[in-house]
Amino acid sequence: MTTETAEQARLTAVLLQHEVEQFYYHESALLDAHRYEDWVFLFTEDTHYFMPLRRTVTRRQLHLEFTKPGEMAFFDEDKNYLEIRARKFATGTSWAEDPPSRTRHLITNVRIGEKSGDELQVHSNFLLYRTRLKNDLDQWVGRREDTLRRTEAGLAIAKRHIFLDQTVLQSANLSSFF
Amino acid sequence: MAETKVADQLDSLVSLERGEIDRRIFSDPEIFDLEMKHIFGRAWLFLCHESQIPRRGDFFEAPMGTDNVLVVRQKDGGIKAFLNTCSHRGNAVCRAEEGNVRNFMCTYHGWTFGLDGELVGVPGSSLFYKDKLDRSKHPLRKVAQLESYRGFVFATFDETAPPLPEYLGATGRLGLDLLAERGDMEVIPGIQKFTVKTNWKFTVDNVFDYYHPQITHMSAFALGLIPAPPDNYMEGGAKSETGANLEVPFLPTDLHNVVMVGEYGHAISGPDQDALEVSTGVEPFAWRHNDETQARLGRHGSRVAGHPHIFPTTWVTAGGQLSLRVPREPGVTEIWWFSFRDKNASPEENAALLSSHIHFFGPAGLLEQEDGENWAQSTLQTKGLHSREVPQLLKMGLGTSEVVKDDGLAIIDAPINEHAQLWTYHSWREWLRNPTWEELRERTVPHDRF
Ligand code: FES
Ligand SMILES: [Fe+2]
Repeated sequence: MTTETAEQARLTAVLLQHEVEQFYYHESALLDAHRYEDWVFLFTEDTHYFMPLRRTVTRRQLHLEFTKPGEMAFFDEDKNYLEIRARKFATGTSWAEDPPSRTRHLITNVRIGEKSGDELQVHSNFLLYRTRLKNDLDQWVGRREDTLRRTEAGLAIAKRHIFLDQTVLQSANLSSFF
Repeated sequence: MAETKVADQLDSLVSLERGEIDRRIFSDPEIFDLEMKHIFGRAWLFLCHESQIPRRGDFFEAPMGTDNVLVVRQKDGGIKAFLNTCSHRGNAVCRAEEGNVRNFMCTYHGWTFGLDGELVGVPGSSLFYKDKLDRSKHPLRKVAQLESYRGFVFATFDETAPPLPEYLGATGRLGLDLLAERGDMEVIPGIQKFTVKTNWKFTVDNVFDYYHPQITHMSAFALGLIPAPPDNYMEGGAKSETGANLEVPFLPTDLHNVVMVGEYGHAISGPDQDALEVSTGVEPFAWRHNDETQARLGRHGSRVAGHPHIFPTTWVTAGGQLSLRVPREPGVTEIWWFSFRDKNASPEENAALLSSHIHFFGPAGLLEQEDGENWAQSTLQTKGLHSREVPQLLKMGLGTSEVVKDDGLAIIDAPINEHAQLWTYHSWREWLRNPTWEELRERTVPHDRF
């Protein structure tokens, strides 16, 4: 019966993989449709949304490449600040996003790691392609480390750390979500 | 007839009298080259804060005009800065932005330089050079002068430049005092660096601009991120695209501004502390509510609640950050944010401060996102053949303000105005004439009236 159990486990893994990927596709669709307030709804109350700064350092000092929580960052948000950011877009006077930029979130390489209780560690890669106004173009590539939590409303993001593949940011702003 | 060189038209490019600026100064490559030579090649430029390089061998790469220099903590605790270019064939001797080393080894042929920039190793010096190479003649090229003022490290490429405190003058020193006086200050790890398609002068002009927040940062007001006076609404005609009057909470026009303009182009401009605290009901300057700090800042300095600027590109914010605006090309500027905290502050105080540093400025900052938009678009419009013929206007309060000289400062007490911007452009023009330091100083002594 061991083969059946192994098969069962594989099937469970495939279903979970499918569920997580669908969750990310849904999330991306909300962002690309400018539905930011619905997007914020996907985060837990105790969430931590963090994008550290990255520095060009030698291989020997690679442990210093990213800043840590408590140091400077591009984003260091709790749920309240995510809500503020979403509401800012809705004011209609957030000029960096009005006219709104056009985004496409591509999420790939989704790898589910450790599971404990109702939480899952998930790593993914992203390509965020953005055009603004007549001919501004930004492309950000990087990796996300998420903690997803099962809640009554479904999966929710309890932690997201975003690691950009740029050091000196080649853009005028980060008025998009990752 | 050949077109006149822009450099020969300096008098017509900036007019203090008319409050008009020629837009070509924001995109002309010839002007940019002159700026690099006559301004960035001579001025004292901010490199870093001493707390960023505490241990021997710590280094930080900083821009000086179109050059990059390595600022390095020495074995004896001192600081030196030299060009990041190998004396052999020019390769960068260090390709990291910051870190710690024992020496700098060039990855081209292996020439090795000590922390002091001296050439200490040449591979195969007897085999290849027959011991004929005099190492002492080929160190890394040092900056001409380097000095610290209260932990802020500056350098200049001009050995004839006056000493740093003299260059800063009372206005520049006060600008840095307003950051240094907050406690035992250190830089929080992580310098935000991002790229805006703008000319660097737009980013400087904006430092003093208290006319723009009400519209540019309207969304931040609406969310209560910036405290707004409750019952004051914009008059004068901001109307939405649907024709509705925009009810903009604004800094009242009678809000008292303190402007200080100084030799070489330094300036401070912004609300008077009392006026700001009364009108917005907040006290962001609690750190200075003690007699010692008041005494050290002086009678005038302790009233300043606005933004000081050290010419040409160092902005000290009222919130305890320092921004460096790094010109890369006529239309490309990097913005660098150095964020400070008091070493003795509590974890709660530090967390609150960090949050405000992250949420106001920087590319994801709830204020600066919108600023960058304006600078980029303004720069773009200086390129059009006809658009660039439209003058830039700086006429607010023009010719209406007395300049009072006291304590080495030249002070204007007036409602919101554009005097500090005009002063910056005026000084900029005088720098471009490439005068001697004496001449430059004389020509940037503030007038009696603005
Ligand atoms: S260029 Fe540096 S060793 Fe040759
Ligand atoms: Fe602004």
